[in-house]
Amino acid sequence: MTQTQATIRTLLVLSTVLPLASAIVTLFFGKNTLKKNTGWFAVGVMAVSFVMSLIAAFQFVSGDVEPFTWLIPWIPVPGTDAGYLYLGLYCDHLTVGLMVMVTLISTLVHLYSIGYMDGDKRYERFFCYLSAFTFSMLGIVTANGLMQLFVFWELVGLTSYLLIGFWFEKKGPQQACKKAFVMNRIGDTGFLIGFGILFYQLGAKVLMPVADGGMFDAIAMSLGGKEGIMENPPMWLTMAGIGLFFGAIGKSAQFPLHTWLPDAMEGPTPVSSIVHSATMVAAGVYLTARIYPILTPGAHLFISIIGLITLVMAAFMAMVMTDIKRVLAYSTLSQLGYMILGVGTGAYIFALFHLITHAFFKCCLFQCSGSVINAAHHEQDMTRYGGLAKKMPQTALAYGICTLAIAGASIPFSTFGISGFYSKDGIIGGTYNYAQALGGWGWLFFIGPILVAYITPFYMARSFALTFMGKPRDKHIHDHAHEAPWTMTVPQLVLAVMALISVPWFLPWQDLIVATQEKMVAMGTTWAPGIDELEVGIHHIHGPLLYGFTWILMLGLGIWMYKDGFGKASRIVRLPVIKQLYTWTLNKFYFDAFYDIFIVEVVKVFARICSFFDQYVVDGLVNLVAYIMRGLSDLTRWFDNRIVDGLVNGASDVVRACGQTMRAAQPGRIRIYVLLLLVSSVVATLLTLVVTMV
Amino acid sequence: MYETLLNWLIFIPALGGLVCLFTPSGAKAKQIALGTSIVSLIITIMLAAAFQTDVSGPQFVTSVDWITAINVKYSIGVDGLSMPLILLSSALSVLVIAAAWNIDKQTNVFMAFYLFLMTGMFGVFLSLDLILFYVFFEISLLPMYFLIGIWGGPRKEYAAIKFFLYTLAGSICLLITMLGLYSITSEAPALGGQNTWDMMTLQSEVVQSLFAQGGPHWVFGCVAFWLTFIAFAIKIPVAPFHTWLPDAHVEAPTPISMILAGVLLKMGGYALLRITYPLFPEAAAYYWVCIASIGVFGIIYGALCAMGQTDWKKLVAYSSVSHMGYVTLGIAVLTRTGFDGAYFQMIGHGITSAMMFFLVGVLYERAHHREINRFGGMWLHWPKYGGWSMLGFFAGMGLPGLCGFVGEVMVLLGTFQAAERAGVNPNTVYILGSLAAFGVVLTAGYILWMFQRIYMGKPREEYAEYAPINAREYAIMIVLGVAALVFGIVPALVFNITDATFNSLMRSIGFAG
Repeated sequence: MTQTQATIRTLLVLSTVLPLASAIVTLFFGKNTLKKNTGWFAVGVMAVSFVMSLIAAFQFVSGDVEPFTWLIPWIPVPGTDAGYLYLGLYCDHLTVGLMVMVTLISTLVHLYSIGYMDGDKRYERFFCYLSAFTFSMLGIVTANGLMQLFVFWELVGLTSYLLIGFWFEKKGPQQACKKAFVMNRIGDTGFLIGFGILFYQLGAKVLMPVADGGMFDAIAMSLGGKEGIMENPPMWLTMAGIGLFFGAIGKSAQFPLHTWLPDAMEGPTPVSSIVHSATMVAAGVYLTARIYPILTPGAHLFISIIGLITLVMAAFMAMVMTDIKRVLAYSTLSQLGYMILGVGTGAYIFALFHLITHAFFKCCLFQCSGSVINAAHHEQDMTRYGGLAKKMPQTALAYGICTLAIAGASIPFSTFGISGFYSKDGIIGGTYNYAQALGGWGWLFFIGPILVAYITPFYMARSFALTFMGKPRDKHIHDHAHEAPWTMTVPQLVLAVMALISVPWFLPWQDLIVATQEKMVAMGTTWAPGIDELEVGIHHIHGPLLYGFTWILMLGLGIWMYKDGFGKASRIVRLPVIKQLYTWTLNKFYFDAFYDIFIVEVVKVFARICSFFDQYVVDGLVNLVAYIMRGLSDLTRWFDNRIVDGLVNGASDVVRACGQTMRAAQPGRIRIYVLLLLVSSVVATLLTLVVTMV
Repeated sequence: MYETLLNWLIFIPALGGLVCLFTPSGAKAKQIALGTSIVSLIITIMLAAAFQTDVSGPQFVTSVDWITAINVKYSIGVDGLSMPLILLSSALSVLVIAAAWNIDKQTNVFMAFYLFLMTGMFGVFLSLDLILFYVFFEISLLPMYFLIGIWGGPRKEYAAIKFFLYTLAGSICLLITMLGLYSITSEAPALGGQNTWDMMTLQSEVVQSLFAQGGPHWVFGCVAFWLTFIAFAIKIPVAPFHTWLPDAHVEAPTPISMILAGVLLKMGGYALLRITYPLFPEAAAYYWVCIASIGVFGIIYGALCAMGQTDWKKLVAYSSVSHMGYVTLGIAVLTRTGFDGAYFQMIGHGITSAMMFFLVGVLYERAHHREINRFGGMWLHWPKYGGWSMLGFFAGMGLPGLCGFVGEVMVLLGTFQAAERAGVNPNTVYILGSLAAFGVVLTAGYILWMFQRIYMGKPREEYAEYAPINAREYAIMIVLGVAALVFGIVPALVFNITDATFNSLMRSIGFAG
């Protein structure tokens, strides 16, 4: 490890651990010592962590440092080559890039929380959870191998549980945090199975970093050469890839485990803004990207299908929700679908780039929605908003910018736009290549993202128009609405600016990812197409996206339809086929109902049957044995009393009876004895005589 | 010197118990008991400090003739397999006596019985002679019977006798095997026609080969394997031999539940590793799918039963069945990682289950009921108690950084590793491993659902009447909670001690890998 690498390592480790330290301090000293300063303390620590990451990133990029690992033995696994499960660090371009992104967003969310959580009775505790959550996420980003990733993966699950259920007095958050955790655990089961398969096939190699190609080499070696594995990957590798990806399905809320994410809106809005942008949901995409070198074509197809379904389904749902946070939640789902589809179809670079751009604009959108909700007396229903732009100009501006970013705004007939444009078009370009290679039904992988590229600006325009434009629909709310305090608007505006300028020709996000991929390709460890091929794909999508007019058209349509409330929309919804579609979509395609009835209830009933079975059958058998033994012992007692003892008693009775009888013959009178003696001697004499004579 | 200390470790609690028995004052008896347990803890720590981690065989051995007519020896010693468990037993004992501070019915007798139980526990973990082991195995039963039967809940008589008879039934299986084993040992030529009860000799290859497939006593080996397995499976308890456990736990007073789940169950797992598997490795390998399936069944069945409970303590009791299923599975798969995982799971579960039972007990003492649905809002009412509860229950759930995680993950990995063994069908392994992995979802399900119903929501009015949690109770929670954290973060604490012994164990049963 060179000097620079050592410095970078120290910086990254510190910036990972600092939030944990902050969490511990706020846990023990928040309530009594720091009090209202807790928020500022946490923000300060996060800011230091951000600066450290930034310095590390600069050093890494400017010094042209080689990716490196740093291992600390943790759990001994004897009998394997590595001998340990490791904790530690893996650092490459992607690591430093995401470190900067996550710490920046976390700092802004901490700052935002000072305003948003002001007056909450567990104000101090909130910062403890938030910092712990950030620590867990940073742990995932710096993980040196699958096992460390899994450790922090679970910690993210725990801390998100605490954050989503922050207001646990209420029923909603209780259910939501439990649902999030259990859904994640279902995904984790898949992860563990995938990990187990790899562990069996590769032994200790699986404990080493995947991303640097080490694991791919191990696989290739165990199967005799890279060419063979590229052409004819073994089935178990596909299964392992899909298994690991199941973890991502849980964390990144992909179909069919997506239902926890919209419910997670029950948490305080700062939580939504961090969980659903830069962190938790990003972790799944990050995992998929990290295991990219070992994903086989079969696994790619599976991932693409899951991504496609999530992408399209969630976009439809985002169109019909009236709760502002739920619109954004489904929008997040849909955008995550883009990312997963991107990784699946080989647009690795753009999928990860989208992860970063989306983190900025989605975090901002959630924060803006939080400001609106705060202003509107915790009313989240857009049917009661309207015309808030005048009251909250800064929030409206930030929301507007991010709406443009997510819509993929660009100058028509050119390749200039804002952040979302580059990343999203890149993914669609990747799907074009993939669809072309598959042919036939494979074109769905291209049609889907194009369709959603039309829907996204529409639903975002809808939410913008319903909230900020037109006439107020609830006078009371409108009258009391006010701009958020600066602690809330500043993060919003910073994020909005980041959403504007995170473009390839201004900030080097994309270059970091390209560098990561080049390393992968250089090691011959990937099925992914190069960036040149992706450019070709992007070229083919200009037509279907109307050369940059799509976003203008659909934004315009959305604003035209909704700027005066629901009037126009409700007329359209009454049309026959649309009505049906609308009902389905509004009911979230009945996934929640289905899961509640057919899974949750079934498991509960099954659990009750099991405990009934246990009590009455399994234990019943034990008790039955006991009863039989008692019955037998009763029987034995009876037998012993009546028969065995009876025999003894009987014998004595017989003897006594004989005695009684004989006693009658022995009354004790001399005369009788003499008479008897006489008679008997006569009889004896007679008998003797008879016998001798015969 | 350490040999003497080891003997003292067994007999000091018994002496303390006798003193307690004749101390009329309950308060004094408590002090004596606490003092005795602390002395035991100090002795254990001294032993642990002197313990050589690179030696695989027993250390600090004492061996003297006891019943010469049948070659019974009083021989005790400690190795990597028993060292962590006696540390757990003596550390937990201090906490248990602290948790029993509120017992006011015949306190001196309670403490006496508890100290006798300690003698039994140490004896089981330290015996190197089968008969001695059997004697201590039984000795640990009797005090438990009285502790449940006298200080228990409403159905204490039923629970106590069920516990006693059920375990005794297991002991009979063990006794039969032991007698058979004893008479066969003289056939091993290397032993020179001598019969023996010595565990270390019995584990040697010369005896194992008698019970090997194709060996002269293969059938006896199989029968004996199953008989001893059942004997210890009842103790662990492995579903479906577990039904004594929920009753015993529900009726037992809190401290007794703690020690029952924390240490007594571990005797079963310990004995599997000490007796059943090293003696009959061929039979174990022959029937491994069967045993592993029983373990997996226990994991899932226990979790489902836990989910179906409305009695809080019963839920925790069933969670023990589920968690100990990982122990069975880890041992059954016959891989080093599996053994390590199973062993760590025993230690981890010793900490978490004691903590969970204590957390239940704290509330039960105040509410006088354990209906999950009649609680709610505990977190708001007692934030600190809520926080420690979360630590305890989440450690039970197997969250990384806490002690439940290490055991579970290593057992799972060990299960997948079993596919490497010769003659093992990988698909069987995949199915078993996947089902066991699915157990983590159910565990999360029942723990979180319980946590929601008890701790979340708004506090109930009747809580105002509850006495506040005192420093003694917090101290117990904190010690257990910190232990859960420390062992979760530094699992090497256990593995360093066990490493050498497990190496030789794996070699001895022929699966060095």
